[in-house]
Amino acid sequence: MMRVPSVQIAKDRLHVLLNADRLKCTPDVADKLSSEMYCTISKYIEIKPEDFELKITHSDIHIKYTGEND
Amino acid sequence: MGEVIVITSGKGGVGKTTTTANIGVGLAQAGKKIIVIDTDLGLRNLDVVMGLENKIVYNLVDVIEGSCRIKQALIRDKRFPELYLLPSAQTKDKSAVSPEQMQKLVSELKAEFDYILLDCPAGIEQGFQNAIAGAGQAIIVTTPEVSAIRDADRIIGLLETKGIKKNSLIINRLRIDMVQKGDMMSVEDVTEILAIPLIGVIPDDEQIVIATNQGEPIIGTDSMSGQAYDRICRRILGEEIPIPDFSRPDGFFLRIRKMFGKK
Repeated sequence: MMRVPSVQIAKDRLHVLLNADRLKCTPDVADKLSSEMYCTISKYIEIKPEDFELKITHSDIHIKYTGEND
Repeated sequence: MGEVIVITSGKGGVGKTTTTANIGVGLAQAGKKIIVIDTDLGLRNLDVVMGLENKIVYNLVDVIEGSCRIKQALIRDKRFPELYLLPSAQTKDKSAVSPEQMQKLVSELKAEFDYILLDCPAGIEQGFQNAIAGAGQAIIVTTPEVSAIRDADRIIGLLETKGIKKNSLIINRLRIDMVQKGDMMSVEDVTEILAIPLIGVIPDDEQIVIATNQGEPIIGTDSMSGQAYDRICRRILGEEIPIPDFSRPDGFFLRIRKMFGKK
């Protein structure tokens, strides 16, 4: 059986943790913020979940949108 | 005027003290006048790592309280006459010193030394606030683990709010074999998450354990970690040395090591 490399799990967990730490909120609030931002954007433009990423740094919130690639 | 660098991490046990000691030795070897200060009140360690624990008479708190002059508390290193240690107090706690007092002490030392290295305690409480009070820049030490990276990220945020913006990262205890198997975050994974300039990568190396047992520095030996600390010191001094590629099995760095028959 193929074992899943644990790095991806570590990176996913860190992503959630750091977003929450940087926003000073709980991980599920950070998650909810991200999905509501996605919903808002998808109301106005056609977007797939894989084209969208919410990136939170210590000072900024970036919305990454890569829907124009093809 | 000397540069003041705080070595910090948030999480304990990631290698702050070892890093402080070895960078201190490396910069002293390069001919700089160095003081390393242990700011971990109550848990004195830097003297032990440097093998100077039997030479302590006065400590940081004695200096701050005015019980002795700065010069009386400084311990000269066994090998490098230009390297000094200001040890911490073992019996006092973090409330014995304030950030303002640390700032004053550090600014007095700036005139005497080329580099002042502050070994920061773990945590983000007063000990941390004391250690960063006089610092102009920070070296953040982390290991490729979720908890250490998370803490490093918080530290970076706190340093930025305190106005310390020149921050660089050391990734410690990297296991190349585990990175290749996909079971440890790579240098790229960590730098992408923490987004501050990388100043060095130290491979996990049992030689460090042996050196620390003996109270000897690892820098200056031909071990992988010793070489890594040597490159870090040269980068601090302004040399541009690329970070060796630790991710590929045919990495240039490993090839060179094999050529010389080192593991």
